[in-house]
Amino acid sequence: MEILNQILLGTQIVFQPTNLLFCFLGVLMGTLVGVLPGLGPTAAIALLLPATFHTSPVAAIIMLAGIYYGAMYGGSTTSILVNIPGEAASVVTCLDGYQMALQGRAGPALGIAAFGSFIAGTISVLGLMLIAPPLAKFALSFGPPEYFSLMLVGIVILIYLASGSILKALMMAVFGLLVGTIGQDSISGTLRLTFGIRELYDGVGLIPAIMGLFGVSEVIVNVEKVIKSKVITAKAKNLLPSLKDWRDSFWAIIRGSVTGFFIGILPGPSSTISSFTSYAMEKKLSKHPEKFGTGMIAGVAGPESANNAATGGSLIPLLTLGIPANAVTALLLGAFMIHGVQPGPMLIPKHPDLFWGIIVSMYLGNVMLLALNLPLIGLWVQVLRVPYPILFPFILLFCLVGVFSLNFSQVEVALMIGFGVLGYLGRKFNFELAPLVLALVIGPMMENYLRLSLIISRGSAWIFIKRPISAILISITIALLFSSMIPGIGRRRRKLQERIERQK
Amino acid sequence: MAVLLAGLLVRFPGQGMSGIVEKGGYRDMQRICQTTALCFVALSAFVVWESWNLEYYTKLGPGGGFFPLWLGVVMGGLSLAWLVQVSGRKGSPQDVAFLPERMGIVRILSTVVALVAMAGFMNLLGFQLTMFLFLVFLLMVLGRQALWVTLVAAFLGSVGMYHLFGSYLDVSLPAATVKLLANLGL
Repeated sequence: MEILNQILLGTQIVFQPTNLLFCFLGVLMGTLVGVLPGLGPTAAIALLLPATFHTSPVAAIIMLAGIYYGAMYGGSTTSILVNIPGEAASVVTCLDGYQMALQGRAGPALGIAAFGSFIAGTISVLGLMLIAPPLAKFALSFGPPEYFSLMLVGIVILIYLASGSILKALMMAVFGLLVGTIGQDSISGTLRLTFGIRELYDGVGLIPAIMGLFGVSEVIVNVEKVIKSKVITAKAKNLLPSLKDWRDSFWAIIRGSVTGFFIGILPGPSSTISSFTSYAMEKKLSKHPEKFGTGMIAGVAGPESANNAATGGSLIPLLTLGIPANAVTALLLGAFMIHGVQPGPMLIPKHPDLFWGIIVSMYLGNVMLLALNLPLIGLWVQVLRVPYPILFPFILLFCLVGVFSLNFSQVEVALMIGFGVLGYLGRKFNFELAPLVLALVIGPMMENYLRLSLIISRGSAWIFIKRPISAILISITIALLFSSMIPGIGRRRRKLQERIERQK
Repeated sequence: MAVLLAGLLVRFPGQGMSGIVEKGGYRDMQRICQTTALCFVALSAFVVWESWNLEYYTKLGPGGGFFPLWLGVVMGGLSLAWLVQVSGRKGSPQDVAFLPERMGIVRILSTVVALVAMAGFMNLLGFQLTMFLFLVFLLMVLGRQALWVTLVAAFLGSVGMYHLFGSYLDVSLPAATVKLLANLGL
């Protein structure tokens, strides 16, 4: 009964005109960035974050979350119609989706992707609604050692799931933690690594770093190549899947939703991993695995459902523990903090309107997405015709204006450009950027928890082992770090990565 | 970062005009990776040095230098491990595939220099004029768009954005400090 009251509260919040508008804008922008190759949800959230400064926290988070799950919907359109994945999570959709389009079945492919995403989105919102409150209650018993260990294990899982070298991912995480130490120490007040620059006293801002790493660097990577606009001629008719299409894809949608949701809870690029896992699972369970890659509708329905369900799952650690699971949720954490709200176990008791508002907005957002995706497919195809040479100057414009309007500081703009070049070089050298961002966001919190733990224990590191939850988390961290050194496991991990790279 | 950039800007002798990667390209790549690893080692040494001058431990517990010092040490260890790894490894064609072509480098540099110029001149010439010139450069020179497309897009992005932010979002973007331009309403 209590849960129904909470849902009612969330509904009241979401149906306020401003929040409805922001929910709509979020899913619309999300679909747009999902459709456009070369602009992901991370960059889009970073670009639009400054635009939410003057709104209420509820409206801001509703819109930013809408961009996240909306991008997953939009990503499938380009994969199916033109074989260009709008999102990394939609790469696997190209395999069967584009084949279906070539056979004149683009309509049912797009239709099942949209319906599958809607069902998965709904299942993941239900999962989030049921799992988040008890988990948050459990997390109330956490002290500084548990939080420190949890953050450590979060970073290490992200490193373990990195697509490249573990060593390089580890270096990026440590680098992110180091950047996080710049500025005034929150406990002693000492200035650290500021080089006398006044603008660095408060630390390196999240927005300049994210906009540089994801916005500017993505532009630099794209302008490096000669940009050719592909002529889009694809058309989609008869979007409603037939009864046979539903029969062939129903269980794939359910399996994809459940798998995606649980993979989403884990730190890392969960949307991408979940879509690949779902595709592999459908292929394994199919009576005709040899037909996968030739236009099997289950090969579209499963992965598209999985990547949508993962978005709901990945919000669980953020909302209940205050720990982001990937770069997008790290940005959402930044957005919460900018609006003066600390996500974590106290979020539900302190800000029930915000928590339940987000939950209900996600459900409503999924309905909006279904309505947006099916009738507006033609519009999204038109959007694909906007040439990148026109698009990229405007991405840079939004980055510049977004960063400058924060504090009217040229130093922050310079930092953004620096992070942009750093992000470009990182991509070139195959350094993962996600561990860097996550470490940068949670670094200051992690340091505080470490120091508080050592203050409690009077300098003894045994506190992390003596407390059972912390001990389990530390054991997982050590096991993950060392397992990659065991030849068998390390080889299997590399093989899996190679397979994913090949399929890309 | 500067060393890295310099490494990317030189023409790589191992990469022939035909684009076919010769054996020397792998060696160049290895050298770039080694230089990068050494840059990370130097950064770690700097962080350790800086943290050393901060308070490591206080009566209450760890001081301001505690966390960065250990991070510097860990970073140094990881960088050395990477240096050893890249020094002992044989190159592969994928390693060299990342090197940008000469025109790619020109486009990257143009974009970065345009961004730096935009940031540098924004307070002097005002947002509207600087952004207009920035967009014209990117759209026309790099994007090779038609003149009318360039002018319309640049006008909307500069003057339009200035007024949109000023009037609706309550964010005043910088006006020109040069008197002549300020008198013109820029």
